[in-house]
Amino acid sequence: MTVKRPLVAVVDDDESVRESLPDLLRELGYSARAFSSAEEFLASDCIGETRCLILDIAMPGMTGPDLQQELTVRGQEIPIIFITAQADETVHLRSLEQGTVACLLKPFSDTALFEALNTAFRVS
Amino acid sequence: MWVGLGIAEIGRTVGGLIRQGSPLPVVLSALCQLFDATAKGFSSSVLLLDRTGARVRSAAGSSLPASYIKQLEGRRVSWSETPSGATINAKKPVIVLDPVSVPLRKDQEAAPATAPGLRLHEASPILSLTGEPLGIFAVYRRESNPDVIHCPSALIPKFTQVASAAIERMRSDEALRRSAALLERTQQLSSTCCFSWHVETDEISWSKELCQLFELDPSDVPVTLELIGARIHSEDLASFREMIERARSGVSDFEFEHRLRLPDNSVKYLRIVAHGTRNQEGHLEYIGAVQDVTHRRHTEEALARLRAELAQAARVTSLGVLTAAIAHEVSQPLAGIVTNASTCRRMLAIDPPDVEGARETTRRTIRDAERASEVIKRLRALFCKKGATSESLDLNEVTREVVALSVSELERNKVIVRTELAGELPPVQGDRVQLQQVILNLFLNASDAMSGVDDRPRQLLIRTERDEEDRVRLSVRDTGVGFEPQGVDRLFDAFYTTKSSGMGIGLSVSRSIIESHKGRLWATPNEGPGATFSFSIPCGPQEAMAGATGARSLGAIRMSAVTNAEERHGRSL
Repeated sequence: MTVKRPLVAVVDDDESVRESLPDLLRELGYSARAFSSAEEFLASDCIGETRCLILDIAMPGMTGPDLQQELTVRGQEIPIIFITAQADETVHLRSLEQGTVACLLKPFSDTALFEALNTAFRVS
Repeated sequence: MWVGLGIAEIGRTVGGLIRQGSPLPVVLSALCQLFDATAKGFSSSVLLLDRTGARVRSAAGSSLPASYIKQLEGRRVSWSETPSGATINAKKPVIVLDPVSVPLRKDQEAAPATAPGLRLHEASPILSLTGEPLGIFAVYRRESNPDVIHCPSALIPKFTQVASAAIERMRSDEALRRSAALLERTQQLSSTCCFSWHVETDEISWSKELCQLFELDPSDVPVTLELIGARIHSEDLASFREMIERARSGVSDFEFEHRLRLPDNSVKYLRIVAHGTRNQEGHLEYIGAVQDVTHRRHTEEALARLRAELAQAARVTSLGVLTAAIAHEVSQPLAGIVTNASTCRRMLAIDPPDVEGARETTRRTIRDAERASEVIKRLRALFCKKGATSESLDLNEVTREVVALSVSELERNKVIVRTELAGELPPVQGDRVQLQQVILNLFLNASDAMSGVDDRPRQLLIRTERDEEDRVRLSVRDTGVGFEPQGVDRLFDAFYTTKSSGMGIGLSVSRSIIESHKGRLWATPNEGPGATFSFSIPCGPQEAMAGATGARSLGAIRMSAVTNAEERHGRSL
């Protein structure tokens, strides 16, 4: 029997992240999809299916926190793991809003990601 | 007894005094004394006129009362009323036939013209060789000697002639002394010395100051080219000799800069400007000036150092602003590396290992590492401290590199970057890092100007294009807060800033960098919101960068060859 793997969505404008992270997620036992922008994710048909969102903070156009707000407005409560290359941006997320599981500073280790995912699935 | 008195004898009396360097009044008094002794019953005076010929500058006489002599000084010469005036006007002697009826200004009591007991007998103009009035030789009859009424008239022209020669000689001596003093003072003021060089005979005449400058003993005469060569800095000796050879071949003018190495090992910078002339025999002779530019050189070098430090300070400031962007740029590929390597390890750990997957993730790991090292390479070039270099550059490529480095920082500030780079842009000569520094400053300024703008898109348009007169132009147009028209002059002042943070030296340093590229940096308000900052620099090879690098153009010779002019002239005949 096959258990359907939970879907983790990656939203990041950096191509190497979009390329590498889904592979690692699959190795960790999840199914994964990558999106290059918040708008692309919102336009996709997998919002309802997504069990966890790995979300870049700084992106041209709609930012990570913008997407989080939009999802809240839409009533979609998806646990979010923020990722960022900017140390000072973690400060902006100090008062972690509801649904935020963790904020990982790039580059992050696979164990840090694994722990954050475990937390996310405990929450959900 | 007086009849035999000739010009030669009169001249001898005053000649000795002139040679001794006696002042003119003393010489003229001696002349009057000789006349008075020769013409019994008569007294004489010499009135010296000022340069306009309208006023008595000083007067001299030997047997006239000193008080009378004194009152003549400073008096106006009235052209029509007085015999003195008339004599100047007519430029010929006026003989007063009836001294009683024509006393000197007798009708004006307030201005007694003569001393008691004296009657003006004759006034003769003393004229220069060119006919200019120098003075008046006046002869008075002594009333106490009523028997003598005949003046030795033949004697008067001889005396005026000698007086004229004496005055002219003294005047030219004075003019020479003044001009020598002026020259000396000018030389002191401008740290300039002069020399002449007779090419045929290699005879060199040097001023005392030039000996001091070269630290040569003035008794080391004659000054020779060998003696000079011994003082030239060894690195400049070859070009100095080259200049000498070219000068020998007959150029009309030359300019040369070189260094001296003095006995105490100190170094002086000299600038020589010489003008070639042919003397009466047709031989080539150079007359020139040597200026000690050591102080100026040191100032220029200090300025170049200061400019480099200032540019470095600006870089460090930008570095602070850019730290976040750098972290971002480097962290992105690092994240890829770590993730790919982690995936790879997991793929190899499973049984059987996913070798194909591992190979793919390893390839990505290497690619991301290369991307990170590219970023580091660009940053290293941008922030290392080194003097300016000059190379042939493609402004488009230079611009693209800066865009690549800063685009993420700009996008983080919600700035939409658009580039319009002209195709077929001719290369420019310049310093890559300095120009990138300027472009980066313009980007960051534009981004800052738009940081508070929320009611319109934050657009940054970067454009390169060909400008007129073989120049290329780069402009950076933003939709920010712009600037007040009256603030435009202050925009480029060092430390002027409209921002609450930052040192504000970006624009002034940018301008000095562009100016060292023989270019121009300016700002214009947009028709819509925002401002456009542009610079334009010449394309192709140029002699720029001297200011930026402090590079010396020592040993550089500029000569204008007579032969060329003659050739041109010859062809047109």
